[in-house]
Amino acid sequence: MLLFGKIAMGTLGTVALAGAVISSEGFIHVKVHESQPNGTHLSFVVPAMIVPVTLKFVPHKYFEEPARQIGPWLPVVDAALSGLSDCADGTTLVEVTDPNQHVSVVKSGGAITVDVQDPDETVHVAVPLRAMRSAIHEIASSAGPS
Amino acid sequence: MKPILPALAVLCVGTIALAAPPERYLHVRVDSPSSGEKVRVNIPLSLAEKVIPAIHQGPLHDGKVSVGNMDANCVDFPALVNAVKDAPDGEYVTVQDHDEDVRVAKMSGKMVVHVTDRGGDKERVEITIPWEVAQALASANGKEIDVLAAIRALENAGDTTLVTVTDNDETVRVWIDAKNTSE
Repeated sequence: MLLFGKIAMGTLGTVALAGAVISSEGFIHVKVHESQPNGTHLSFVVPAMIVPVTLKFVPHKYFEEPARQIGPWLPVVDAALSGLSDCADGTTLVEVTDPNQHVSVVKSGGAITVDVQDPDETVHVAVPLRAMRSAIHEIASSAGPS
Repeated sequence: MKPILPALAVLCVGTIALAAPPERYLHVRVDSPSSGEKVRVNIPLSLAEKVIPAIHQGPLHDGKVSVGNMDANCVDFPALVNAVKDAPDGEYVTVQDHDEDVRVAKMSGKMVVHVTDRGGDKERVEITIPWEVAQALASANGKEIDVLAAIRALENAGDTTLVTVTDNDETVRVWIDAKNTSE
């Protein structure tokens, strides 16, 4: 009985630790709703950590050109992401409205959310700032020797 | 019990005094009644203050824009701006031709530029720059404009409309305040 308890505690601790690590960079939320019949209705939430981790498995040759382009702008990206993480939640950074479409980019809960609404579809994407930074740095690290 | 009250009062006043000032935002609003399109952009000034020094591209370096071709060796721009700041309010430059009027004035501690186009678009531009911001812009040497210093000066300027552009098709307004929405 004591051994079973120790195993259960160990398993529980491992699961809790894994959960903490996986959720450390927040979650990416994508929701797509097409209004036409048989349209796509998609909603998923994935741990943001999988993006930089997945990028590690992509051969570097695919990112060499993007990495070279990002390289000079990396300090700007870092400064922007740092500034965005400091800015108040609920700040609407950009909002575009026309008779057929509404697009907004909002800082919300440590993430940037993009919402698009038009007569055909509704799209919601939320990406945590930390995940953006990790992914961009992962791509930038693929730059070969210049 | 009583001696603790003054200490609490000092603590409260100190906390209020040391509280971070509210974030200030640069807003851009574009309304196009003919197409029904509306654009709203709200940028925290602290974000601009972090991003601009990080850009080293073209004429922008370390938060300053080079205006390299301008020969300003003999002009002390900060002194010039200071001199105008101390001058009385009034209209300093007026240019009128058959297409447009341009007026540069100093009003209530602000530099005001009005441009009225009498052509097809009937465009009307009004630019208002607080003197502290104008001074900050001119604070670098004569061949640079200090954008970063101007943004810092804007953080201390009151709520103000910086630019309005109106023509037949759309209106544009750029202003500063402490709200994180454009409405």
